[in-house]
Amino acid sequence: MKYSFFRGCFIPIRLPHVEKVAGMVLPKLGVHLQPVEGFTCCPEPIGVTVNHPLTGLAVSARNLALAEEQGHDIITLCNGCTYTLKQANETLKADSELRDRVNAILAETGHKYNGTVEVHHFAQVLTDAVGLDRVEAAVERPLTGLKVASHTGCHILSPPDVMGFDDPQVPVKLDQMIIALGATPLDYEYKTQCCGWTLSNYGDRNAAARLLGDKLTAMHAAGADSVNVICPQCLAQLDTGQMLAARSLKLDFRLPALFYLQYLALAMGYSLEEAGYDKHRVKDPGFEEKLRRILA
Amino acid sequence: MVLNAPYTYPGLRGVRKAAEICLKCGVCCAVPEYGCPAQYDPQFNPKHTYVYDCLGAEKPASNPSIWQCVSCHKCEEMCPYEVSPLHFIEAMKQRALEAGEAPESITGEIEQVVNTGYAFPVTANTERLREELGLEPIQPTEDLKRIAEATGLRRLRK
Repeated sequence: MKYSFFRGCFIPIRLPHVEKVAGMVLPKLGVHLQPVEGFTCCPEPIGVTVNHPLTGLAVSARNLALAEEQGHDIITLCNGCTYTLKQANETLKADSELRDRVNAILAETGHKYNGTVEVHHFAQVLTDAVGLDRVEAAVERPLTGLKVASHTGCHILSPPDVMGFDDPQVPVKLDQMIIALGATPLDYEYKTQCCGWTLSNYGDRNAAARLLGDKLTAMHAAGADSVNVICPQCLAQLDTGQMLAARSLKLDFRLPALFYLQYLALAMGYSLEEAGYDKHRVKDPGFEEKLRRILA
Repeated sequence: MVLNAPYTYPGLRGVRKAAEICLKCGVCCAVPEYGCPAQYDPQFNPKHTYVYDCLGAEKPASNPSIWQCVSCHKCEEMCPYEVSPLHFIEAMKQRALEAGEAPESITGEIEQVVNTGYAFPVTANTERLREELGLEPIQPTEDLKRIAEATGLRRLRK
C-alpha cells in the first residue's frame, strides 16, 4: 500500500517526533509513506479556508494535484488536514464550473487538479485498508491492563457523509484500535466534546481551559491511565494545553496524552523514549510505572 | 430577538437554508458534555446562547463572537431543525474578512500560510528538533503567493 505522505504543518514544525514515529511504525504494517516535494499547509481550515474559501480550495487543489502527479492516494496524520482535503476534493469533484475556476488559478503554479486521488486519515488506513487484525498481529507486547480514554476529535467526525470515519455522537473506532493493542478502552462523559485547541487560539483562552478541565476530569473519574488522540492539535491541547490549564484550574492529577501511533510503537516493542514521550510536557510517574510493569 | 444573519447566502457549496427557521430552542448550546464549545465563554448562558449571539447580532459580521466558532459541527449535529448555524457563522467570517474586520489571529495566519506555505513559523527549535530526529529540513514555497494573487486574497491584505 503506497500513499503520498501528507505531513501537514503542525506535526513537522511543532511535533516532529510524531512524524518520526509514523515513519517507524506504519511501514511495518505494509503502509509505504512516499515523500512528496512541495506539499504545503492543507490549508488550515479555521484560519484560512473558512474565511476565504476560494484560496482554501485552490491551495488544497494544488496539494491534491501533487499527489495525483505521483499517482497515489494521500495519507494524513491530522484531523484538520483530512477535513480540509476531503471537503475540497468532494467539492471540486462535484462542481465542474468551480473546478475550472480553481484550475485557472492553479495554472499559475503549473499544476492541474483532476480529482483522481482520495484522502485518508491514517486511522482510516489502519481500520479500513490494513485491518485491525493485522495491527493486532503486529503487537509484540500487548498493553494489557492499560486504561485508555480516547478522544477522536471533531474534524475527523463531521460532516460524517464526507469524512466517512465514525459516528459523530457515538464514536467507537479509536476504542477498537486501542483493543487491538491489548489495552482497555474507557467510556467517559465529554467523550465527543472538542479538545478546545481552536477555541484557545482564535477565541477565549479561559473558556478553552475550563472546557479542557471538564474533559480531563471526566477521563480521570473514569479511571484513565492516559489519553489517546489521532490529531496533532488535540495532542498539543491535551499535553501543553493540559499543563497550562492544570495551573489555572489547580487540577490535582496529570493524564499523559499520546498519539495513537505512539501506543502502537510501544506495543511493537519500542521504548517510551523511542516513542517520543520525552518530548511531551505532561508526564506522570504512575503511568510510566504501570507501563513498565505491563511491558516487562 | 430578530435573527439578523443573512437569511440565505451564496456559498461555494451552494445556497444554504434560511437562518429564520431557527426556533431558538437552544439545544445546540444546552449540554456542556457535547454541545457548542464556545458556550463555555461566561458571557453566554441558556437565555443568551453563543449561537443566538451570532445569529441575532445587529451587525453580524462585526460581532467579535463569530471568531469563537471552531467549525466543530456540534450545533449541526444537535439541531433538531437542521439549521446548521456554523455555515451562517462561516459566511459572516467571510464578509468580515472582505470588510477588513478579521482579527490579527486570522489575518496573521493567512499571511503566514501565503508567504511560507505553512501555518506555523519554522523556528530554530523546529530545525534543531528535526535534525536530532534525523528528519530533513522544511522547505518554504512561493507557489501560494501566486495563488493568493489570483484568488484576490492579496488585495484584502494590508
